[in-house]
Amino acid sequence: MPVTQLSTRLPHGAAGSAPAASQPRIRIRDVTLSYGPLQIIGGVSLDIVPGETICIIGPSGCGKTTLLRMLAGLAQPTSGSVELDGAVIGGPNRSVAIVFQDYGKALLPWRTAAGNVSLALEARACPRAERPAIIRELLEKIGLGRHTEKYPAEMSGGMQQRLQIARCLAQEPKVLLMDEPFGALDAMTRQALQDEVLGLVATTGATMVFVTHDLEEAIYLGDRIVCLQPNPGRVGRIVDVRLARPRDQLLTREDPEFLRLRRELYDLIKDDHQ
Amino acid sequence: MSASTLFKNGWRAALLPVALVVIAQVAATVTQLESDSLASPLDIARAFVSVMADGSLLRATLDTLKAAAIGCVVGVGAGSLLGIVLGLFRIADDALDLTIELLRPIPVVALIPVVMMLLGFGAKMEIVIISLGLLWPSVVLARVAVKEVEPRLMEVSNMLQLGFTDRLVKIVLPAVLPQLFMSLKLAAGYALVVAVTVEITANPLGLGYGIMMAQQALRPAEMFAYLIWIGAIGWLIGVLLNMAQRGFFPAFVKGERR
Amino acid sequence: MKNFSLRKLLLGCATLVLFILVWKLVTDAKLISPIFFPGPERTYAALEKGLSGGALLTQTLETVQRMLLGWLLASFVGVFLGSLVGISKRARAFIAPTLELLRPLPASAMIPIAIAFLGFSDNMVLVVIAFGALWPMLLATIHGFAAMEPRLYEVSAVLGLSRGQVIWKLALPSAMPMILASLRLGLTISLILAVVGEMLASRAGLGQSILAASRSFRSADLFAGIVILGAVGLVGSRLLSFGERRLLRWQAVNR
Repeated sequence: MPVTQLSTRLPHGAAGSAPAASQPRIRIRDVTLSYGPLQIIGGVSLDIVPGETICIIGPSGCGKTTLLRMLAGLAQPTSGSVELDGAVIGGPNRSVAIVFQDYGKALLPWRTAAGNVSLALEARACPRAERPAIIRELLEKIGLGRHTEKYPAEMSGGMQQRLQIARCLAQEPKVLLMDEPFGALDAMTRQALQDEVLGLVATTGATMVFVTHDLEEAIYLGDRIVCLQPNPGRVGRIVDVRLARPRDQLLTREDPEFLRLRRELYDLIKDDHQ
Repeated sequence: MSASTLFKNGWRAALLPVALVVIAQVAATVTQLESDSLASPLDIARAFVSVMADGSLLRATLDTLKAAAIGCVVGVGAGSLLGIVLGLFRIADDALDLTIELLRPIPVVALIPVVMMLLGFGAKMEIVIISLGLLWPSVVLARVAVKEVEPRLMEVSNMLQLGFTDRLVKIVLPAVLPQLFMSLKLAAGYALVVAVTVEITANPLGLGYGIMMAQQALRPAEMFAYLIWIGAIGWLIGVLLNMAQRGFFPAFVKGERR
Repeated sequence: MKNFSLRKLLLGCATLVLFILVWKLVTDAKLISPIFFPGPERTYAALEKGLSGGALLTQTLETVQRMLLGWLLASFVGVFLGSLVGISKRARAFIAPTLELLRPLPASAMIPIAIAFLGFSDNMVLVVIAFGALWPMLLATIHGFAAMEPRLYEVSAVLGLSRGQVIWKLALPSAMPMILASLRLGLTISLILAVVGEMLASRAGLGQSILAASRSFRSADLFAGIVILGAVGLVGSRLLSFGERRLLRWQAVNR
């Protein structure tokens, strides 16, 4: 095992640990975003290769969520560009799915679990006859196989968030965006869902961008961790996570490298707060 | 609500009504309108000035508003009182629920012939019908309000061993006052509707009678002047009561909006 | 129904019986002249005779038909126009304030205007009913669309739903609780305006029949008519409540 090292790059650095030959799935180029005189994001550049999991951390107000919304096409940069497979993202795109933190607002309360997943299939004009099988498979995969006919109001927070993830998977996205998806869940549920998501990303080969304020979650999930700094939001450091996969809630978290990274990131974030 | 939306959207809100008035006036001028059912905005304005000047409009307005106001106070007062009693005493509620549910759906206009037969025409008959019309909605609103009083407060009053009057005056009434005012607000609008309806249907006084007579006499300009005036009064009552509500119960209004 | 219990049923029925008994005592004691105020027996007799003899039955059907026709017309137009205005933020900014301004206008005040255009006809009554019942539905649909969870608009954008799909699959269902409540209010208004219209324009129906009964002091017939009107209102609102509960099952589990 090579000596693990903390790699520190400037915002304009080259693509990450992936082979240089592969074209980036997402390329963020000198992106800024302002509301009137207020600059939210000031010059962010980042390349994300296919299949990579990027975690974005940073103090509140650093533009984590705003950056994610730009990747989703829900917000447009004031200058610079965001590209998906070489094409500029000009608006929402079905190959990019986003899981919102407030699952209670993002689900249709009048549709059952199956109905909510079905919405994504209806949107991409999936033939009616094929839908039930796809829905059942997705809900099984996410652990809601026995709850297909329940309404969101009858589900726990964890189940609702699973449902939202299932709906995003029904889009068959190349890129999965997660906006602090487990922030409102209890610790046990959160860990179960982390493993669930890692498994899904591994099997589908999707690229994931995961925004969180939980350092351990970022280390546990990510291939690289992007630390944003506030006022205006910009990339402070990018940290490589060289932890073996598949990861394990107990073993990975006890790994000395995990602990070292946690210390490293903690000091980084603490500096930003001062 | 209507007032605040109006100000916020400014010119956009004003565009449609102004455009409609201008178009109506242009159309009337171009076609040299002579009709028993239509009138140009200018003619309507002229008719409005003349009924205002001879005092008939103000007299009718006063008649209608007086009946509506008295009916409103009597109906909401009696209804709220009954509603509070039903809300406080489970047994009374259980006993009267069925009867109320059976009486409530009777459309208030069906009572016009009965009251007319008993009391003849006049302000009294109108007031009785308005009160009866407002009775059931007030009962329902007050009952719900009392039932939704924070149970902890009721426990507090039990612990303090408050007597019935104390409990009513010190705990229940203050707690449901905002809802009672909202009930009054809804009732005021409805009282005007019932008043005008009774006047149009049967009672020879007030704004409803005025608009009906203008139509019968084939004076469309006067008819529309009455119509717009009735609408304006209804709107004004709503705005004033909203303002009063915001003044008296600012916290409640915020909650209602959310 | 909410906290249904045997105790409640018994108490309720007992009170109803008591109510009718007091009514009987008051009329038997002739506290109010029987010419104006019939007792329960005379009312029941008039009801039975009217319903079996036919006059009351056909009048009821006339009124119910009028009410339903006007209500249906108002429902379709109200929800359709409400959807068109509600789905666009710009249309709402331009049109909604004017509609709000017109809302407090009593529907019955439109009767003279309708008479001026259509005379004392069945169509006049129908137009008045439809116009009066239209407002709550129109405004409820617009408000329901405006109140849709903004997150759902983002979800629809990310999923790539078409405008039609957004209306049909997101906005209408989310506005449904408000729309259904307004449908119930609309039915109440329809019944009231049907009765008023029949009284004013002398069109066949319960409104005209109770007015005639009152003018010729046939108080038993008058009360029979009122009982039927109450029954029509009760059945109508109960049917709609039932439909509402079925359609809003997803909401019931919330409570």
